[in-house]
Amino acid sequence: MKGFGTTVFAKPGFTTAVILLSPSLLLVAAVIAYPMALGLKYSLSSGSLLRPGGFIGLANYIKLLQSPGFYNSLQFSVGFAIANIAGCYTLGLGIALLMQKGVPGQGVFRVLFLLPWIVPSLVAVVSWRWLVGDEAAFVNRIIKAFGGSPIFFLSTSGWAVLIVILIKIWRSFPFMMLSLLASLQSIDRTLYEAAAIDGATPRQMFRYVTLPQIRNISIVLCLMMMIWSVNDFDTPWLLAKGGPANATQNLVILAYRYTFDRNDVGMGAATSFVTLFGLMVLVFFLLRLQRRK
Amino acid sequence: MSNLRAYFVKLTLAGVIFGESVAAANAAPVTLNFWDMQWGVSEYAVAAQKLVDRYNQEHPNVHVVYRSVPWANWFSTFTTAVASGSAPDISTGAGFQAVYFFSQDAVVPVDDVVKEIGEDAFVPGALEACRYQGHYVGLPWAVDIRLFLYRKDILEAKGQKVPTTWDEFRAVCKAVSGNGVYGYVSSGDSSGVHTLFVTAINNGGGLFTKDGKPALTSDRTMEALHFLADLAKDGSVNPASVGYQNFDAVASFFQGKAAFLIEGSNLPAQAPADVREKIGILPPMKSPHGDIGTNEWINNIMVYKQTTHPKETFAFLKWWAENEKPLWTEGNFASFPARKAILQDAYFQNNPNYKYAIEVFAPIAKTIAAQKGGTFPELNEVDGDAAFSTLIQQLWQGKPLSQIVPPAQARLEEIMSH
Repeated sequence: MKGFGTTVFAKPGFTTAVILLSPSLLLVAAVIAYPMALGLKYSLSSGSLLRPGGFIGLANYIKLLQSPGFYNSLQFSVGFAIANIAGCYTLGLGIALLMQKGVPGQGVFRVLFLLPWIVPSLVAVVSWRWLVGDEAAFVNRIIKAFGGSPIFFLSTSGWAVLIVILIKIWRSFPFMMLSLLASLQSIDRTLYEAAAIDGATPRQMFRYVTLPQIRNISIVLCLMMMIWSVNDFDTPWLLAKGGPANATQNLVILAYRYTFDRNDVGMGAATSFVTLFGLMVLVFFLLRLQRRK
Repeated sequence: MSNLRAYFVKLTLAGVIFGESVAAANAAPVTLNFWDMQWGVSEYAVAAQKLVDRYNQEHPNVHVVYRSVPWANWFSTFTTAVASGSAPDISTGAGFQAVYFFSQDAVVPVDDVVKEIGEDAFVPGALEACRYQGHYVGLPWAVDIRLFLYRKDILEAKGQKVPTTWDEFRAVCKAVSGNGVYGYVSSGDSSGVHTLFVTAINNGGGLFTKDGKPALTSDRTMEALHFLADLAKDGSVNPASVGYQNFDAVASFFQGKAAFLIEGSNLPAQAPADVREKIGILPPMKSPHGDIGTNEWINNIMVYKQTTHPKETFAFLKWWAENEKPLWTEGNFASFPARKAILQDAYFQNNPNYKYAIEVFAPIAKTIAAQKGGTFPELNEVDGDAAFSTLIQQLWQGKPLSQIVPPAQARLEEIMSH
């Protein structure tokens, strides 16, 4: 009886496949596997960037899971991701549906809607800082013009969280819109014609034709948006440095602070691996959802 | 015979080529990498580069490469450079960077340079702030004193006198606040934390007891925190301070939207021309116990262990320390020199702000090592730790001290327990 290995190695073209794949495999090993293995080693070690310490087992993970700062960052990361996915999907799908209907000046709108996505994050976020930074900022001038009191958006924790979410949605929805528009345009028109013959209302067509047809792409888009939101450093850091009072400090900023502010590489690496593990679990369930018919 | 001749010709040629190579190698200048922080105004880097060019011209065997390093993420810049084996030969840096790097075996003592220059050549306290375990871990070159600056025009417009005590300061702040103008403006970043350091030291407190124990919850420091909390409660602190970075706070002060700000003594020189004369330095204020004092930073230059040219690096350090005057006279640097000889220059003696800061504030200024004094590696982590930025942000947000001080004290204890 031939074993699995013997069967695989005996397959024709195996050597050619190995030779052709080896550059990619080596590249993956060099840029992904090695840094990850090194990161994992750091997460199980004490010491600093300058003076690496010895193996301490799971002590960094235990310390992290006992730290209130971790749960604060986790809470913000989860809330930020959910709000961003919901906001981007709703806005992206809404605009994609309008675009598909063929509004006048569609080409111009498409370019305008893409702008937030094209503008470099530094420019975008710093511009937003000017818009909401203090009581003389543009948004507060408008509020005052309507008789309202100025709002210190970046000084109040709740407002800062809201502004960070809004900016993220503003920066990310164009990608969602563009992808959903492409998906909407690929739906077979005869499905709508059949539904119309059966007497379906526009709402029923959306519910029973459009949504099932864009289900898979929606899951993939939400998955990508979730990963990008959880790993977003630019928006909360450039806008508020994770503040005020750590209100917008996500897990990535926490890992950065451990590594570079506190020079505690072990804790920084442990935070990154916990984040990675959480994301992998979510990705697993979302992909299973996608496969379900 | 012809073979023998060919052999000799080849040998001679090889000898010539080898000799040329050795000569060329000997003639190639030694390259030193000098990383200098961006010390305030843009003129500074220009003046520093000019000074480096002069050194290169005067020393053809050495070529110093000048690199202006931004303060953003400075710690990661230096630690990653050292960790990856690409540290500079010499650099300026944060106040406690040298002592921390010394504890991590990344920089070498500059004892010989101090000895050559002479200990008496430095202003009082400067060398003490660089001495650790019997060594000078960095060469002090600038003293950065934090003090209260005020807008004369705002106080005059509201008929207020220059405050001399904390109580008077609080009353003036309250009186001038209104219509978009505030008594005090600060920031939520590490510069904003200077407010805490200045007032705590002013009140005879600080982050540490005399024997080096964490003292954020000590009576004197808590009094300072209560004083700041009261200012916020009065509505005298611009609420935007929580989200401000230092340049936002300075801009707000220049725009006349705040009466008081804590900054360096030479800030007026960096103000727009029409604002310059409207800014004054507040005389040292008396705390409720009658104490006076403020916070200072001793900036120093350090030599990295990774340098492959220690002799040339130390020679450059000594030259730099003796010729650095243009950093102020041309570079408009806000701090004042740690070298007494440079301080005697007319540039400082004729500048009332420098003169006032040197004569009045220098004798009462202490680093964040107060009340312990000296220097120790943990200070590097304390300087810029997010726990203190969070504390100051929460303070300006008006959160109760009983809620916000214990986590910061716990963090301070954690740092000191390393």
